[in-house]
Amino acid sequence: MSDHVALMAVFAAFVSVTFAALMRDDPREQLAFGARLFGGFIGAGLLLGWLLYPLPL
Amino acid sequence: MRATAAEHVQSPTNTYLICAVAWLIPGAGHLWQRRTQKGIVFLIALPLMFATGLWLEGRIFPFQIIEPLVALAAIADLGIGLPYFVARMLGAGAGRVVALTYEYGNAFIIVAGLLNMLVVLDAFDIAQGRK
Repeated sequence: MSDHVALMAVFAAFVSVTFAALMRDDPREQLAFGARLFGGFIGAGLLLGWLLYPLPL
Repeated sequence: MRATAAEHVQSPTNTYLICAVAWLIPGAGHLWQRRTQKGIVFLIALPLMFATGLWLEGRIFPFQIIEPLVALAAIADLGIGLPYFVARMLGAGAGRVVALTYEYGNAFIIVAGLLNMLVVLDAFDIAQGRK
């Protein structure tokens, strides 16, 4: 597996699941919080990726 | 009447034992304190994240005081507990620097250890009746 976006999504999923279980007690709240966190990770990753795209690295 | 968290305060010996078990087996501290759902999530997610890091050819860093960042990564790696020792015994985690996924693997292994440290702190808080 060498797809960078897929690896980022897998990483985000693990971290979101763990943080959701840590920070919320109710399963429905955990699901909502985990989904928000996962979306935030993916969104921030894509945004940063596009912001860095024009830089000559 | 529902029992409050403060009514379930563990003795100091039990608290440290819970923390040790929680570190050694991710999620075991929560399972011990009957937080079954959370315990199962940690028991599955954290070792799986660590194993994914090894599969991605990440490295389990050695303790080298001479290189502070490597030593910090080694401490983070150790945070996962038993899976760390199992991986070391099986000779896994040598890391292949030229692999495309090497840095990803390192991130997975290090973050799995750090997340387990947070889980241990959460188990400690539960044992102290704070949650």
